[in-house]
Formats: sequence, C-alpha cells, structure tokens
Amino acid sequence: MNRALQTISTRLFTRPVLPSSLGILPNAGINFIPCAWIRQHKLTDQQMRLRYKKLHWHKFYNDKWVQRRGGGWDEKMTPENQTFMQEVVYETYTNKESPLKDGPWKHGEYTTNPETIRTGVLGLKLGTLPQWDKKGRKFHVTLVQIIDNHVVNYTPPEMINFRTLFTTRPLRRDLHGKVGMLVVGALSSDPRKFTRAYNGLFEQAGIPPKRKLTRFFVTPNSVIKPGTPLYATHFRCGDYVDVQARSIDFGFQGVMRRYGFRGGPSDEYGATKFHRKRGTVGSGRKHKILPGTRMPGLMGNKLVMMKGLKVWRINTKYNVLYLMGPAVPGPNHGYMRIQDSSLYERKQKLTKDNHPPFPTYYPQDGKILDEELFSDDIYHFDQPTLTLDDVQIAPLTTRRTTAKTAQKKK
Amino acid sequence: MALAFSNTNKFLLNNQHILRSVLILSVRYKQRGHIADHLVEHHRKLPLSKVKTSATEDVSQVNDEKNQNVRTTPHDFKYVYPDFLPNPIPFLRDRILEKLERKDMFRRRQQIDIPEFYVGSVLAVTSADPYAPSRRNRFVGICIQREKHGLKHEFTLRNIVDGLGVEIVYELYNPTITRIEVLKLERRLDENLAYLRDAPPEYCTFPFDMEPVKLPPGSGVPLNTIQVPITSTHWQYKWERHDLKGVLLPPLPRSVRKAAERYSEPWRQWDIMRQYRTEIHDEDRDEIFEDIEKHKQDLAQYRIDSKENIKIIRTRQKAAGRKAILDDSQQTKHSNPPTSK
Repeated sequence: MNRALQTISTRLFTRPVLPSSLGILPNAGINFIPCAWIRQHKLTDQQMRLRYKKLHWHKFYNDKWVQRRGGGWDEKMTPENQTFMQEVVYETYTNKESPLKDGPWKHGEYTTNPETIRTGVLGLKLGTLPQWDKKGRKFHVTLVQIIDNHVVNYTPPEMINFRTLFTTRPLRRDLHGKVGMLVVGALSSDPRKFTRAYNGLFEQAGIPPKRKLTRFFVTPNSVIKPGTPLYATHFRCGDYVDVQARSIDFGFQGVMRRYGFRGGPSDEYGATKFHRKRGTVGSGRKHKILPGTRMPGLMGNKLVMMKGLKVWRINTKYNVLYLMGPAVPGPNHGYMRIQDSSLYERKQKLTKDNHPPFPTYYPQDGKILDEELFSDDIYHFDQPTLTLDDVQIAPLTTRRTTAKTAQKKK
Repeated sequence: MALAFSNTNKFLLNNQHILRSVLILSVRYKQRGHIADHLVEHHRKLPLSKVKTSATEDVSQVNDEKNQNVRTTPHDFKYVYPDFLPNPIPFLRDRILEKLERKDMFRRRQQIDIPEFYVGSVLAVTSADPYAPSRRNRFVGICIQREKHGLKHEFTLRNIVDGLGVEIVYELYNPTITRIEVLKLERRLDENLAYLRDAPPEYCTFPFDMEPVKLPPGSGVPLNTIQVPITSTHWQYKWERHDLKGVLLPPLPRSVRKAAERYSEPWRQWDIMRQYRTEIHDEDRDEIFEDIEKHKQDLAQYRIDSKENIKIIRTRQKAAGRKAILDDSQQTKHSNPPTSK
C-alpha cells in the first residue's frame, strides 16, 4: 500500500519545473517575464535510438567524416628546428591570401515573410557572475567567449541530401530543401596536430585549421563567404538567443538524483532496505515493464537546448557575451552553439528595420566600438548607486474578492 | 539542569558551498564537448588567432602589457581585500572571467567607498528600501562572517533589536547599498562568529545611534581577545569541535570531550594545499595588485574631477596593515565623505 502511494507521489512531483531562480520581488508589482525555457524532447532517448537505428545512434562521429587527429609522434627535431617550424606555420597563415580580398559576397536582404535564419556562433562557456538590473534585483549571468570563429564552408540547399543528414539534431520539416549549410569553426590551431585531409577542408577559406566545427542551417539570403570571422557583436544587447550544449556528465546515477524521486524514509523511522529505491516498476495488470520507465542510468553528457536567453552585455575586447541565467548547460570551458532565438514571441519583434546585424557583423575601419555594450535594463557599475525613489509599490487592498462576493457582483 | 548539546551532526564550515558541489568535483574524463583548462589559455595567446580584419584588440598582447618592474605585494593583501581572493574551486576559475569581474568591482568601488573591515567590527549599512517611508534602511551590527569571492562577496551583520536577534546578509557589491561605515574597527580571534547566536545577548547588542570609535593615529587594527561565554542550553553547532579561540565553553561531559578529540584535525595547520587554494599566487597576484593600484589612481582622479566632493578629509590615520600597501604607491586620500544619508 505504501509503495503504491510512493510511485503516485513520485510521478506527481517529477514534472520538470520552470526555472524560477531569477530573484523576483514578490510584492513589487513589476512585470518580470521568465525567459529561459528548456526544450522537452517529444521522444525519449530510447525512442530516438529505435528510430535512427540504421544511422548509428550510439556513435559520436560519422564514418563518412574525414579523420581529424594526426601527428602526435616524436619527430626528433632539434629545438632550433622546432622553433623554425613554428615560425613557418605562423607566417604561412599571417601572410596567406584570404579570399576576402575580393570583398564579401553580396549581402542578402532581411525578410520576415519567408523567414530568414542567420548563422549561429560557436562559443566557450567561461562561468557565471551576478548582475543587477535597474530596479535593484539580482540575477545571474553566464559569460560565453567567442574565440576566433570563422566561416569555413557553405553548401547551397540543392547540394544537400536532407533525407540522410539529420541524425542527432532533426531539422524542421518545412525547412527541408530550403536551407543551406554553413560550417563554422572555432579555435584555430597548429596544422601539425591534424591529418592532411582535415587541413584540406580549410584551404579554400584561407584560415588555419580549427579545433571544433559545427553546422548551421541558414536561408540562402544570409549566406556568408568562407573565411569571414564572426564576433560577439553578431548579436545585439537585448536580443534573445538559443543555446545548445552538451550537459555536465554525472555518470551513472540513481533515480533520486536523475529524476528527482522522493525515495524513502531514513533508518530512523524503521525503514528496511528502502531509502533511495525506485519502488514499483510496473502495474498489476500488464505483465511487462513499459518502455520509458524511469530507472537508474547514465545522466547528463547529452545535448541540451536552452531557449530564450537574453543577451544583457557584450564585451567587444574579449568577445564575451553575458547571457541570462546560471543554468546554461555544460561544464566550464565547454563548447556551445549560440543562435538567434526560435521562440515565436521573440521572432515577432524582429522586423525589416529592427533586426540584428545581417548577415553578420562586419567591422568598418572608421568605426570603433565601445569596449562594453549594455542593454537598457541592466545596471552598469559606472552609474551612481541605485536609490529606489522612483519605484512605486502597489498599495495593500483591505477588501478581498472571494467567490461569493464575485458572484454577488455579477 | 543539564546542558543539552546539539543532537545534529552539522559541522560549520567557512566554505559551506563547497559541500554542494561535491558531486561535480571535477570534469569527468568521459565528458565530451569541452576543452582542457590549459588549452583555453594556450588558444587565447596563439598568434594564429590574430585576424587581419579584426576590429577588436589582440588578446595575445595581454602578457606583453605586464610591467617590467614587478611590485612586491604586501603580505596582508588577502586580509584587506578578501573579495579579491580567487575561487577556492580551481577548476571553476578562468582568467578572463576574473578580469571582467574585477573591472566591475573597481567601478563599483569608485561609486561608493567600501572601507576596510574585518569579522568582529561593528558596521552601519544604509541601503535603499522602497518599502520604507524615507526610502532608506539603516542597520547597525557586528560583522559575523564574510563569505564568497568576487562580485558575490557577502557579509552578515548581527544585532539584537527589541529582544530579537536579527542577522542581515548584505552583498558587498549590491548597487542598492548607499553607504557602509565602520563604527568600530577591530578584529577577533576567529574568522566566523556564528557562536554569538548561543551567547548571552549583551555580546551582540549595539545601539543604532552608536558613534564611530576613533582609533589613535598610527595604530594597527586592534585585536579583541574577548572570550565569549556560551550559555544557551541548545547549541546550533557543536562548538567544542570547531577549534574556536574566542569562546569560553562550559564544562563538558567526558563523552563530548572525547568525541571532540576524535573529530579534531590537528594536521590542518600544516595543510599547505588548503592554504595554497585560498591564496592568490605570483602570476595572478601582480596582475591583481596592478589593477588595484590603477583603480586607486583612477579613484583619485575621479574624486578630483567630480564636482560634488569639494574637500576630502582623512578622518583617521591608516592602520599599520594598510600602511604597507601605501608605501609603494603615491599617497591617495581615501575616506568616508562627510555627507548625510
């Protein structure tokens, strides 16, 4: 009897909860929209695995991709030769003719009717900091640094086979056949660490080989020439952003930590052998365990998408974005894909006149940006202390409308 | 009439937040989608990351900007500026994160005078309160603890108001704090005075209209060697296990004393790694100290430029601890401006 109640209560309380750790003043009467949403996959991991059985769901890489890691053996060079080789490598890339000499490709126009999707950017999670808004409320902010991003390659939609491409991150059905693929790379490194085939991918773009590559699917009007660098100013302060990253690896975890089950009482209350268990696993009628029952297993270390994060500040010197929330997925120094938000309310606000730099931010020689850009709501520490004299508080009402009085009014 | 000691096994630690991250002690070797910490710095400094058509400065020049003549940082730096100490969890540290954090901290320190204070000194903090009729809330109390690092640095003030003990945790860099004044600057024998909750009330009561105590010029920060007796019957933590020096414990039964001996860690005084983790080291130290020196120059310039502060008077002579810092640099006037709330 007890155990049946256990399972019922665990099911009631294990619904995912909206993050409400944004420091909202309860009685201030100020509207504060919670903005971070975690996408709930419609299919469980097991169902995804069954669906993509043919396409090697368990492999983290594709056999058709080019082998990346190379070198690593001791070439037995003298120290002078080693320094010489390093200098040669640095010189080839500083003196290389970049394809941007002929100028960037023609800028497309930003349209909202046939929607436009811009590129994303590859960033590195640095850590969290507290910040305050102009009403004195504290919130946490994640810093993401965008370390030498370059566009590596573009394939137009006609050359992409949409049927076989999407294994790990499915694309919207209405975009099939209409989007091109941009490959963006981050963290330039020494070509001696990679194979010749991998280095060949970057020759056309004229950039040193990158440590990490991703794909972004963009509409043909937001095409960027390979070789262009991408900066943090690709986004504007006050814009909303979707972040995709691999979450922290917790390893093999039990049901209490993994799904938030309540477990059982401690030994103090005489509980025998039931402290952190799952309880019942099936029902009385069906003689099987339903697929998808929550049990202990590997937790974390999988792709998580977090939508609607606001960009509060941008630091142009170090290319750092300040994103809303401390709960951005991934450990410190973890890669993140950052894109414009796909939430309906956030997309509605972008029009032909009010849109982020399209297709990306190109630095102009005459114009030098401020080192730090702020959104309108944030308090930056150059301002004087916040004296909340302007804040109006909703007055306490003595009358309370209960159901009865509401009915009487009607 | 036996004294009842705490039944719970709670142990008070100065860094309690470390306990919560015990699960994620370090990044697991199976974790994918991240790079090793040393590689991040390597990539930031690589000449390959220089782009011809960049509008931003080269981050690789950071190392070259360092001054050739290295200043000797004073030995008591970590006591005077505990908020500049690094994150005790080393794998959560990042150079750029700390640099940007320090920038914000210095900017805030230009707006408000954040004085030097220690655990055991009596402070009066005025903060902006939208619910009060005068829009200001002033609280006086003794500083019980100072926790966390960087912008998150907090300190708790304790006082007894109308017979009820009140503790308020203030964030040092919260922009709603309008004024922090030190009414009585002194140190105690312990870093954490949470035992005052179990002490008689006269040790934590401070009148709200207390006048600031002026120290004689040239004196160091006085050390109050008071031994606070613990008289309450129920203790919040097991004080006998904490190696507290400013506390006068009542006579304890033998079992309690034996348990305290079992839980004691006398080797901690030789724990070099723990000390290493709480300190700033040579590479970062000079950088941080330079930033502080630069901030002081900026602050002096800011004070000259701003029209409001006409005259800056030094209310009390700097303590001996702070003299060491000022020896190297120019004499910067630094005090509480004598204005009303």
